[in-house]
Amino acid sequence: MTTPAAMLGIGAVKVYQYTLRGFIGPNCRFCPSCSDYAVDAFRAHGALRGGAMAGWRILRCNPWNEGGYDPVEDVKTETAAQTGQD
Amino acid sequence: MDQKRLFLAIAISIAILLGFQLLVRPNLPHTMQPQVAADVPAPAAKLDPGKTAVPGEVAQAAVPKDVPRLKIVAPGVTGSISLLGARIDDIVLNHYRETLEPNSPLVRLLEPRSDAQPYYVQYGWSSATGSNVKLPDSDTVWTASGDTLGAGKPVTLTWDNGAGVTFELALSIDDNYMFSVRQGVRNATAAPVSLFPWSRIRRDYKPELAGYSVLFEGMLGVVGGTLQETTYDAAKSKSEKQQDNPDPSLRDVAFSGQGVGGWAGITDKYWLTALVPDQTVASTVRFLFVGGGDHYQVDYKTDEPQTIAPGGNAGLESHMFSGAKVVRLLDTYQDRYNIPHFDKAVDFGWFYFLTKPIFYALDWLNDHIGNFGLAILVFTVFVKLLFFPLANYSYRSMSRMKLLGPKMTALREQFKDNPQELQKRTMGLYKEEKINPASGCLPMLVQIPVFFSLYKVILITIEMRHAPFFGWIRDLSAVDPTNLFNLFGLIPINPAAISPFLHMGIWPLIMGVTMFLQQKLNPPPPDPVQARIFQFMPIIFTFMMANFPAGLVIYWSWNNTLSVCQQWLIQRRTKLPKPNLART
Repeated sequence: MTTPAAMLGIGAVKVYQYTLRGFIGPNCRFCPSCSDYAVDAFRAHGALRGGAMAGWRILRCNPWNEGGYDPVEDVKTETAAQTGQD
Repeated sequence: MDQKRLFLAIAISIAILLGFQLLVRPNLPHTMQPQVAADVPAPAAKLDPGKTAVPGEVAQAAVPKDVPRLKIVAPGVTGSISLLGARIDDIVLNHYRETLEPNSPLVRLLEPRSDAQPYYVQYGWSSATGSNVKLPDSDTVWTASGDTLGAGKPVTLTWDNGAGVTFELALSIDDNYMFSVRQGVRNATAAPVSLFPWSRIRRDYKPELAGYSVLFEGMLGVVGGTLQETTYDAAKSKSEKQQDNPDPSLRDVAFSGQGVGGWAGITDKYWLTALVPDQTVASTVRFLFVGGGDHYQVDYKTDEPQTIAPGGNAGLESHMFSGAKVVRLLDTYQDRYNIPHFDKAVDFGWFYFLTKPIFYALDWLNDHIGNFGLAILVFTVFVKLLFFPLANYSYRSMSRMKLLGPKMTALREQFKDNPQELQKRTMGLYKEEKINPASGCLPMLVQIPVFFSLYKVILITIEMRHAPFFGWIRDLSAVDPTNLFNLFGLIPINPAAISPFLHMGIWPLIMGVTMFLQQKLNPPPPDPVQARIFQFMPIIFTFMMANFPAGLVIYWSWNNTLSVCQQWLIQRRTKLPKPNLART
């Protein structure tokens, strides 16, 4: 069940994917990319938690982070990813 | 599934197109056009349709045309003050013309009630409860101490209420746009007099808006140190919702705030009329929408009444700005009169900490280069240099990824039903091919506010108004005047009159080409539907930008060109490293 707020978040990410993404090119160090991750996070965890997860993912997506395979699975994986950082 | 996404994509594209058509209006008027009556509804039409109006019995009919006036002749402004009701209702800006034509009329900011676009400033007093002093009102005829108000030539307006109390408005004006006003009261009666001095800006029409989502136009002010903004539409809907309020004095109030000092007024894209109260006196400011037509009002009233002892006199000093929002000038006034955040009359926005320095940089370059368009180009180069290492990093990994295209396609084909495995394999492939991952989304994200701020400054700054570029661009703040759809003037029609989409200047076309090239250099998105939509994006963006000020389109074109060159050079130098060779 996706809440309207989460839908709004997904919509915003989709607009980005269909517009800006093509011009700034892929920059992500992760798989799936931050925007795909955001959509999954919104879907699985709602607007607040999903948004926070997406924000945290973007913060981690910097040159000092290894990057790699990092999908949204369940809450357990997400916390594991957080503690695994750094 | 694929079908659904395609429909979603189409829906989003249409939403963007329609959204921009609403946001961006063609041939935006960037000046007020007091003399053009075409867009202004006749006074009779302004009456609320709900109220039955007898034809001829229009409020406007009561406005006398030939009222006694005090002339204003100053370096910055010319105009007059109506001695009937002491209204500052006629201000023409000496340094700004409406259009580029040398004989174009000067911009008229304030206008009397008898004209098409009434907009004026007025000072007065209201009595404290229990007091029955006869006060000056809108029909009071004041006496001026001179015939002309000018820089260094102050004039005092006086009115004797015939019952021992004399009211005075001591006015002066500087070389630019700042008036000083002292509201004085002399009490010759035997009893003390208690009065609340007030001031108000009144605008009896809704102006034509420039209509950009990143540009504020309407009533604004700094109250208690915070910027407050209420658009015309917001004020109207707020007031309409409150019409059932049992307290009639609250029905029209769209915003009300108390504080010491501050400022408040009504702003257009380039012009501002603002009241600056005594910065040491606590007062209440209100933004009003008064129904029965479009009437907007910003007013100040002191919280405590002034009590004038028998035989004594008292006064309240304040300032009034009416003129062009030249940032350096606003800064000067801010310092000289301690007006908090007066520069925020220019919509620097949330990214104030970026937009203001960017403005200074552009202004400095403009002073030294002498062309605002060139200043934008030079500044863009500096910003690009700042982000050069970051961009290089990601362009390099992007070029390598592009070389991997065939292998990626094979993988995608192989694992199209197992996205998780596909992602794992993709990362594996990158590792195998020794591709450094890109610099990441965070570095990209921090660049966006910088480029957004530059865009915003270019859009809002008055320095771009009527500033020429090369060739056919004579005004950077206006839409590129050339139009592909009449073959650049060969066919004597104006297709843009039919639809704003039928305007396509040369610069937007150049921008479209740079966008297309930039897209070609990036790897296509993995999703085939997205990839298909992307092919149309340069076209959609070109049409969207076609109705933006030429200065912005030139900036985007130049920014894209720099990106494309940088990326192209790197791509030419990038080769895939041999995967199985040990690192040397």
